[in-house]
Amino acid sequence: MTTEPAEEQFTNQIGDHTEIWSIVDNALLGIGVTRETGFMDVIISVETDEIVEASRALRDDEDANFDYLRSLTAVDNMADGMEVVYHLYSISKKHNVTVKVFLSNESLRLPTVTSIWPAANWLEREVAEMFGIKFSGHPDPRNLLMPEEIDDTFPLRKDHPLAEIEVLQGEGMGYSGEEL
Amino acid sequence: MAITPADPAAVPVESPVTAPEIIPVLPALPTEHPSEAPLLAPTQYVPGKALYKQILPGIIQAPLDLLLGASRKSSLWPMTFGLACCAIEMIATYMAHYDLDRFGIVPWPSPRQSDVMIVAGTVTKKMAPSVKLLYEQMPGPKWVISMGACATNGGPYTRYDRVLQGVDKVVPVDVYVPGCPPRPEALIDSFIALQELIMEERKVQGK
Amino acid sequence: MVEVLSQTSDRSAEFETQDLLLNVGPQHPSTHGVFRMVMTVDGEVVRDVIPYIGYLHRGAEKLCETMDFRQGIGFMDRTEYLAAFNAELSYVMAVEALADLEVPERAQWIRMILSELNRLSSHFMFLGAFGVDTGVFGTPFIYAWREREALIDLFEEVSGDRMMYAYFRPGGVAWDVPINFVDRVKEVLKSSAQGIDDFDSLLSENEIFLARTQGVGAISAERAIALGMSGPSLRASGVDMDIRRDEPYLKYDELEWDVITGDHGDVFDRYYCRVLEMRESIKIISQCLDRLAPGPILPEKMPRMLRTPPGEVYLRTEAPRGEYGVYMVSRGGNRPYRCKVRSSCLSNLQALHELTVGEYVADAIIILGSIDIVLSEVDR
Repeated sequence: MTTEPAEEQFTNQIGDHTEIWSIVDNALLGIGVTRETGFMDVIISVETDEIVEASRALRDDEDANFDYLRSLTAVDNMADGMEVVYHLYSISKKHNVTVKVFLSNESLRLPTVTSIWPAANWLEREVAEMFGIKFSGHPDPRNLLMPEEIDDTFPLRKDHPLAEIEVLQGEGMGYSGEEL
Repeated sequence: MAITPADPAAVPVESPVTAPEIIPVLPALPTEHPSEAPLLAPTQYVPGKALYKQILPGIIQAPLDLLLGASRKSSLWPMTFGLACCAIEMIATYMAHYDLDRFGIVPWPSPRQSDVMIVAGTVTKKMAPSVKLLYEQMPGPKWVISMGACATNGGPYTRYDRVLQGVDKVVPVDVYVPGCPPRPEALIDSFIALQELIMEERKVQGK
Repeated sequence: MVEVLSQTSDRSAEFETQDLLLNVGPQHPSTHGVFRMVMTVDGEVVRDVIPYIGYLHRGAEKLCETMDFRQGIGFMDRTEYLAAFNAELSYVMAVEALADLEVPERAQWIRMILSELNRLSSHFMFLGAFGVDTGVFGTPFIYAWREREALIDLFEEVSGDRMMYAYFRPGGVAWDVPINFVDRVKEVLKSSAQGIDDFDSLLSENEIFLARTQGVGAISAERAIALGMSGPSLRASGVDMDIRRDEPYLKYDELEWDVITGDHGDVFDRYYCRVLEMRESIKIISQCLDRLAPGPILPEKMPRMLRTPPGEVYLRTEAPRGEYGVYMVSRGGNRPYRCKVRSSCLSNLQALHELTVGEYVADAIIILGSIDIVLSEVDR
């Protein structure tokens, strides 16, 4: 359920966030969220199965009117799971909000928001191939940046190693691959 | 049309224009009609003297491999294969400020009619089969210039596993140009080095 | 590479036509980099287009996690190599937001001047490449590079490099500009203004150019917003959004300039918005030059190795192609934990399908050129 805005403020926070809290509260009546205040935007987190409903509420509400999906990305928190981050903006009202969904390492699945913001199409494809998160209901779940046939390596995960530098010249060059 | 040598006994015609004052630094210009100059037998080639002044006008003699090498190096047509940031410096070298056209270098989009492939930019593993296919589509003699650090060994992106660590893993490279991106002067230098390479390894048959 | 499908179109009764599958790229003289699209073509009309990207995916985001905050600036340069100052600006401002650094005023004005000059040089490149796409082969490209060489010479005097500057640092700029900077910028502005007029007179009233670009590849404002487009491609559809005015950063709120919007959202509007934007950039730079005053360029207490407290920030700026954002997560330490680049060209390229279906094959190339993509930003 909705709670009072957090009293503790970061010292270098840009702008006053009370107004945006109340707008987001009104839009999301009934949907459970937890909040925090970030450096530039307010951050709300939503449960996995409520993301579509929350997104629709945020877009269709008249005061909130978040019609522009700026960015969709994910962060790998290693043992704590992963989080999918949505940055939303309202062109008419000129305010921002960040929506996060926390996923655990065992169930990396959540529904797609392509039906609400078509901009999410390619952004979700990229998150899916880079982190291994599956977006159910996505109209076109192919690889975007990786070759099509690769489906078992996820480069942006923290446990994916960097490549070793292949030194092809013979021995005695003075350095080995590990030192570089 | 047949060229007949003029009659050596004819009186030379006086030129109405007075000759300019000859500055001693320059070599003396021939003042007699070229057909009156002593003729060299066709098999006598004196190195160091301009051939056109010594033998019949209109015929030049040179070793065949010299001519083939000189014509190949003077008209290198690169295939436009800009992949990443180095492509911008490659285009800058083609444009009017650092002109490459004066070397006979004309960018040509089709691989079937080009001589040189300038691999300008990072080659990823997704792109590598296309690079190989384009190289094989070029008819010989052909050369490859690997422009920039990324094409040489992966460059700043070498630790990422989707990046091919150097284009010489798929095509044979003749000239490597360092830089990120190399200055246009460096690319011009690489073309001059390629021209020297072509003259060094010139042969009548084969590449 | 042409395959003939056995699917027949239902248009005409006398002829039985078949659709062609046409592959454009990844090596193609007009795809602006390694980009591949597979078009299904019925005669000359495009029925379907599938873009394939990822041929330049070099892992800038993953490599930024292994580099500290100063080394990562080089990756941002190479991500958007035609507008490197704008790309560096987003990254550097994100680090400053996390580390709570105060940028001195002189550094802010220098950053603004260089970012707007880079917008000019990037738009000159667009004009050159776009002119070539529409068929005016040669002349616009040479004009564009003449203007770009003047700008690049100035950038080389300031930062030492023609394209990968690495000049903006967290806290300010790396070193002070040369003594004759103001005079040089005024020189360059004069020649750039003349260059814009050259392009305008060459292209904007050219009958053939107008016939090729007007009414082609139009997109409505609602669809453009829904698809996440930004920058001049969005403003050409009539949407009044500019981060410099709506969420001002640096000192944009102290200056006066106009935001250019178009009416129809077609290819000509996207081209002409950029031409008019270049004139606005010249206005901005002239105002900045008047306000540039001597002072420090880095804060006094700059640590040798910058460490940031834990936090996250999504910092967006208006790059020449749209909204270039950096989402940076820091867990303490001297490197970002996650550095995501919100690429303007990737979001703009999503609209390619909608813009191209129903147009002619020749128009598909022009539409791709008018979106103005830089492949290393699409693929990162």
